Amino acid sequence: MKDLLSEVKSNERIAENIYMITLTLPEDAGAMHGGQFANLSTGNGQHLLRRPLGICKVDGSDISLCYQVKGGGTRYLSTVPAGAKLQVLLPLGNWFDLEEYKSVAVIGGGVGIFPLIRTVAENAPQKDFYCYMGFRNKNAVCLLNELSGCKKLTVTTDDGSYGAKGNAVEAYLREADNIPAEAIIACGPPIMLSVLKRELSQKGFKIPCFVSLEERMGCGMGACLVCVCRLEDGSNARVCRDGPVFSIQDVKL
Amino acid sequence: MADLSVEICGVRLKNPVIAASGTFGFGREYNLLYDISVLGGISTKGMTLEPRLGNPVPRIAEGSSVILNAVGLQNPGVDYFIKNDLKFLMTKGVTVIANVAGKTLEEYGEICARLDGLVHMIELNISCPNVHAGGMAFGIKPESIEEVTRISKKSLSLTPLIVKLSPNVESIPANARAAERGGADCISLINTITGMAIDLEKRKPIIANNTGGVSGAGIKPIALRMVYEAAHAVRIPVIGLGGITSGTDALEFMAAGARAVQVGTANFTNANAMPNIISEMNSWLDAHGIKDVNQIVDTLKLN
Repeated sequence: MKDLLSEVKSNERIAENIYMITLTLPEDAGAMHGGQFANLSTGNGQHLLRRPLGICKVDGSDISLCYQVKGGGTRYLSTVPAGAKLQVLLPLGNWFDLEEYKSVAVIGGGVGIFPLIRTVAENAPQKDFYCYMGFRNKNAVCLLNELSGCKKLTVTTDDGSYGAKGNAVEAYLREADNIPAEAIIACGPPIMLSVLKRELSQKGFKIPCFVSLEERMGCGMGACLVCVCRLEDGSNARVCRDGPVFSIQDVKL
Repeated sequence: MADLSVEICGVRLKNPVIAASGTFGFGREYNLLYDISVLGGISTKGMTLEPRLGNPVPRIAEGSSVILNAVGLQNPGVDYFIKNDLKFLMTKGVTVIANVAGKTLEEYGEICARLDGLVHMIELNISCPNVHAGGMAFGIKPESIEEVTRISKKSLSLTPLIVKLSPNVESIPANARAAERGGADCISLINTITGMAIDLEKRKPIIANNTGGVSGAGIKPIALRMVYEAAHAVRIPVIGLGGITSGTDALEFMAAGARAVQVGTANFTNANAMPNIISEMNSWLDAHGIKDVNQIVDTLKLN
């Protein structure tokens, strides 16, 4: 974990309301795995909180993070030009550890696809990935070219304007019995993860499933106890430090 | 290099910069980023007798140059702290301040008794809901501040007591004097200012608790005024906090009468905020030919 003054290499719109910012790190900050995140300053002093963004791409000393413009902070961030310097704390949190698995189903929804893209990139082609990526509509579809290492890619949109009509969980469930996946990794909106948990529970959790959670954060490193989630045993876990990746069976969704 | 060391009720701090409670846990996480022994002190996450799970999420939101939080005192309980984190902190060569809260007067007395002699200082968090006094917070009225301070102080024979004052009150001088009458060795202020952030689309508060404590750079002028008022109302030392982001911010609080400062929200904006503040204080003092930071304390000249 390092807090580095990075240089913005590019900051571009890649889909409706979605941007990819690429930062050049001034020094090595260690290995960065899919699921881990960076806590990025917006560069505007009136935004005191950093934005926790999943690591999407790593290329030498360049890392790419993607974000949705939602409020004033991300709107400001989307205007930061190449050449600007932004403070970034990284890498943070745990990651999708797929060491034990050869074949993995990947379920992503909306901005949840970004950490999954990094996971696929760092593990393919040694592992077989069966990807199910869901978007709101065709305007939200992005970065599919980054998933070319997948064994199979299925894209869905809520309105059917691109790929199959429906969502990524439905698409996975339709094929679940016909793919050789030994584990599932998923990231997406809370409702998607909660439906996934319900469906897998009904099937008796045949294979392990790991989900990456999102929560409003403070420090990003586990000190402030702002970003907790509730575990099935009734205790709290810190999304930023104990997660963001949890076994779907351990976490209340 | 100016001398940054300060003394507060007999406790020597290597510099006046203390991590504010709730932003720094028990120091372990930030110690992965920098050696926390460079700090003057650490006020721990607020602790209670029993473990608490805290409030539902979201617990944090942002406004212009401020944040709001409502963590709700999630903590593992004081016994867990004593068993698992105390030794780590005490071996770091940093002044350890245990921040504590209770639901009843008796709980304040009991938690102070358990920590007496184990830490360098104890800081009372008295802005929590108070069942005992009919739902009012202990920290609002001078009478209840004096009472909770007296009960806590009675449980302590070794460790100095800091009372942390809430800004959501009628009179800071009256409350500061109440803490002093109750036997406080020191006061710290300000705690967060109650506020609200709203999601207009959903017509709902962003924080699950609806209201949260406002902190960060935007509250500094309010905090400075209150620290000045408190420091001129009591003889015991005052620790100032509220929106400190830079070395000059810290020195402004000291000029207003604070003998030390705490830094909270700035740790979120910049994980290295406190080491930076310490070095900025040094540079400013050097540039002004001031050899001892204590020479700044209470030097404010009113217009």
